[in-house]
Amino acid sequence: MDFFVGIKGKDFVMVCSDTSASHSIINIKQDEDKIVPIDDHKVFCIAGEAGDRVNFSEYIIANVKLYALRNDTELNTKSVANYTRGELATALRSSPYHCNLMLAGYDKETGPALYWLDYLATLNKVNTGGTGYGSYFTLSLFDKMWHPELTVDEAVAMIDAGIAEVKKRLVVAPPHYMIKVIDKDGVRVLKTV
Amino acid sequence: MAESQYSFSLTTFSPSGKLVQIEYALNAVAAGATSLGISATDGVVIATEKKLPSALVDETTVQKIMTITPSIGVVYSGMGPDFRVLVRRARKTAQTYYQTYKEHIPVAQLVRETAAVMQEFTQTGGVRPFGVSLMMAGYDDNGPQLYQIDPSGSYFAWKASAIGKNMTNAKAFLEKRYSDEVGIEDAVHTALLTLKEGFEGQLSGSNIEVGVVGPNRSFKVLTEAEVNDYLQEVE
Repeated sequence: MDFFVGIKGKDFVMVCSDTSASHSIINIKQDEDKIVPIDDHKVFCIAGEAGDRVNFSEYIIANVKLYALRNDTELNTKSVANYTRGELATALRSSPYHCNLMLAGYDKETGPALYWLDYLATLNKVNTGGTGYGSYFTLSLFDKMWHPELTVDEAVAMIDAGIAEVKKRLVVAPPHYMIKVIDKDGVRVLKTV
Repeated sequence: MAESQYSFSLTTFSPSGKLVQIEYALNAVAAGATSLGISATDGVVIATEKKLPSALVDETTVQKIMTITPSIGVVYSGMGPDFRVLVRRARKTAQTYYQTYKEHIPVAQLVRETAAVMQEFTQTGGVRPFGVSLMMAGYDDNGPQLYQIDPSGSYFAWKASAIGKNMTNAKAFLEKRYSDEVGIEDAVHTALLTLKEGFEGQLSGSNIEVGVVGPNRSFKVLTEAEVNDYLQEVE
């Protein structure tokens, strides 16, 4: 089961995902990067049905790129989030995409943003979010530790605490994780656990 | 002459490389009432003559300047019914954009989409080009903008321009009076003076229409009273 969490800080967004790719009971690889870049300052964390994840993310990324080429300007995080939700909604009553996802981005004008979407085309702007079993153990922990002026170090501490909790309490906890941060300088890998 | 032998079908080029139906559409525009637009440092103003066929027409029901989005307005010269169709399409385009991105469509993109519609009607069988040129004015993240869209589907961004009956004189007048530092208030005055140049009779709030958008990004058609106030300042 995929583990994704996201935390919005003062001037950055941090996302963490596990790095295992599995099919039923077999681990195919332990170093899969599941945090997919949409452009320089936005990423998707998509969990769910294997084919749908890749198909859907590639579709959105291609359309975002097309917009940028056509109009010589990039979409901001809010627009991409609403566009993605619209696509999920349109497909919902014919051939739904079975994915739960988070969109994390940094815009020059409005700063960091984190959105949580699910396969029913729910869209919420959040300060902390997560998908999968992992989120059940981490969200209340984050509620206690989050505050609006969060720094990068505090956010890393939150994620470390969350991972520790998951490893302690989840029977099928993933062994390895990757943490990325998005700020005015773009997307970069902060650390791997 | 040979040109007229090719004037029946829109989709056939004439020997000189023209699409004669588009030329004729431009004639329809040039026969229409004068409209103009001026882009200022902090906004855009568009204005038109409201020439009614008879004194018996209820002029309060005639509206030539239309709002497409809260930040974008448009005026035309040419055939009124064609204008209504384009306004309908442009409004729908703008709302579709909003529904997709939950943000208002940038002016340049709306202009491009509307121009694409007009171009379609120059390359499709069984239709004729629109007999209007549009002046689209809006304010978005790229500031105040003014665009002209022709029946051919070509569009131009202007600092100031005029279309319709008196356009050559009006454009000459604007060229002399325009400066890059002009603000909205001055732009409205200049617009009124330009309309006055070619107007037969006395300008008043009931025979012209003026639309303005400023840094508040809210496009408004001025009321008759507001227009009369500006006219008094200009006299």
